Amino acid sequence: MTSVATAPPAAAPPTPEPPRAKRRFTGSVGFLAVPIAVWLVFFFIVPFGLILWYSFGEKPSLYVTHSNDVLSLARYVEALDPAFLTTFWRTTQIAITGTALCVLIGFPMAYWMAVKLSPRARGLVVALVLVPYWTNFLVRTIGWQITLSPEGFLSDFLNGIGLLNGPLQVLYTQQAVQLGVVYNYLPLMILPLYVALERMDHKLLEASRDLGGNWWSSFWRVTIPLALPGILAGMLLVFVPLMGDYITPSVLGGASGSMVGQMVAGQFQRAQNWALGSAMAIVLMLAILLVVIAFGVLFRLIGIALRRFRHLGDLDTTGAIR
Amino acid sequence: MTTHLVDEARAGEVTLNGVSRIYGKNYAVRDLDLHVNAGEFISLLGPSGCGKTTTLRMIGGFEYPDTGSISIATKHVEALPPHKRPVNTVFQAYALFPHLSVAQNVAYGLRYQKTPKNEVRERVSEALQMVRMGTFAERMPAQLSGGQQQRIALARALVNRPAVLLLDEPMSALDRKLREEMQIELKLLQQQLGTTFVFVTHDQEEAMTMSDRIAVMNSGRLEQIGPPAAVYDDPASAYVAGFIGQQNFFTGELAGGPGAWSVTVPGGTLVSTREPAGDPVAGAPADVAVRPEHVGISTTPSGGANEIRSTLMSVSQLGSALQIVTITPDGLKIMARSPRGIDVPTTPGADVYCRWTAESVHIFPTPTAPTESE
Repeated sequence: MTSVATAPPAAAPPTPEPPRAKRRFTGSVGFLAVPIAVWLVFFFIVPFGLILWYSFGEKPSLYVTHSNDVLSLARYVEALDPAFLTTFWRTTQIAITGTALCVLIGFPMAYWMAVKLSPRARGLVVALVLVPYWTNFLVRTIGWQITLSPEGFLSDFLNGIGLLNGPLQVLYTQQAVQLGVVYNYLPLMILPLYVALERMDHKLLEASRDLGGNWWSSFWRVTIPLALPGILAGMLLVFVPLMGDYITPSVLGGASGSMVGQMVAGQFQRAQNWALGSAMAIVLMLAILLVVIAFGVLFRLIGIALRRFRHLGDLDTTGAIR
Repeated sequence: MTTHLVDEARAGEVTLNGVSRIYGKNYAVRDLDLHVNAGEFISLLGPSGCGKTTTLRMIGGFEYPDTGSISIATKHVEALPPHKRPVNTVFQAYALFPHLSVAQNVAYGLRYQKTPKNEVRERVSEALQMVRMGTFAERMPAQLSGGQQQRIALARALVNRPAVLLLDEPMSALDRKLREEMQIELKLLQQQLGTTFVFVTHDQEEAMTMSDRIAVMNSGRLEQIGPPAAVYDDPASAYVAGFIGQQNFFTGELAGGPGAWSVTVPGGTLVSTREPAGDPVAGAPADVAVRPEHVGISTTPSGGANEIRSTLMSVSQLGSALQIVTITPDGLKIMARSPRGIDVPTTPGADVYCRWTAESVHIFPTPTAPTESE
């Protein structure tokens, strides 16, 4: 995304199960990885190293962005001031709520696309999901700014039908940012969910119903477990860039809806303090990594608990069946 | 699954009365009456699109009939969803849950029966042993071969002790040798359990091998139902005659009357001691079927009926028998099959006489809408 800080891709999605059938190539195809390795080195490892390096430095004078003559952790102490932490906490709230909303909206949508739609209509709907996503990020966010403005047509419309009395007071609030990020990142949730659900053999649901399950229990025992890798991938794809987003809050957030990405960008651009900006970026990346790991562990624990409390969960561990 | 049934002896009965299923304007199944006895192994046999799978799915509850009634164990079920019917299904591609182990797959249905944990363990283990997969409990379905997956699918269905087991072409993904082994095994299992099996297949040999009765279907209708031997020896229509086993078909004009029907075909007259199917009318066109194993080959003419002169084309070994193909001057191929060791002419190009008895001749007056045979 366009945000300054993106989380390291090292935070791989916590897959619920290890891959079962491993395919091995017999010939040497390692050279095929060279382009991506070069790309990673120059566009990830080197910039990341620079940011890390700058974060230990300082801004020596008004006209210099950074200097590493004196190394210290002082920028980190400076970064973790109350203003940063407040914004950071709001960012985390927006990101977690936004990810949850994307799951809640994206799952029914993806289910409808993959299960209910005829295969011919699917392509069209996938395109309809993607077209807004391919539209310039800034442009579609400004679209929401126009829509939500107190003098905008939504405000007029709500006043017209009597749902609202006076101008719409949503723009430049945390809620506007929340709405904007859900809109902006929803396709990233729908697509992996759609792929997971579309790949599922629909006979499995018939099998579940044949064995005594009704629609609802079949959904929980078959659809959800099989969609889980898609759900986790979608959550990761939404959460990580959302944490670093600074366009959406810049356009829709105002002072009360600012996010941490803006603070990082502010240090690099307006304040010209690359040392402090780098420290903030590192803190942000570490935090994203921690949250992702925490959620990975949480999901793992939920999975283990579910298996344990499921009526027959221990069947696969007792070894009684021999 | 099996709730306390009033009449245990009839628990495995399935009755379809006037069942039709319509897709758009086409009947997938039309006016089907079928009664399956408790403990019976019945096969629904026919080519793809004949309505056999639709029939099975209606019994299972995955489709609902547009007209007619379906009862299982004397209770009407046509309006019930699958999970409320005392049946279980073995699906064509097995439909094992990929995220569950073999044991969890087999135990899946028991949870809905609120089976106590210890009993679940016992029954799963029992079911896996029954299909000789006892040591595979911990595996994931993806780690199993096709034949093993099929056994698990069978165990997963049978562990619920259904009144009726539905099998939707379960052998179609197996190779021939494995399929033949599984056929025998499945039949033995069915006899041992006494569960009603409704088996859908397009493979007539498979149906012959396993079934107590075969229901031959064609274009959504039941053509004939009966024990394998009866369907083979006494086909009710030219369609059934052609679908089950091999046949030599002749067409000609029906002559004679009750007790002495004959059909004049190019190259000879075919006489039958059997009563033609349907409403025979002298002068009407008719199909005649003679099985290859009833055709004898001779180098000398007898001058009687049921004899057609032809030229020997090829002789091939079928293992236990010889297959001889001849061609008549009118271009009609006649196939004969005789046990090895019997002296038959084998020189291609030789003039021979194909001959058979009047008992082996089946006459089918051609219906107004002609049926196609395979």
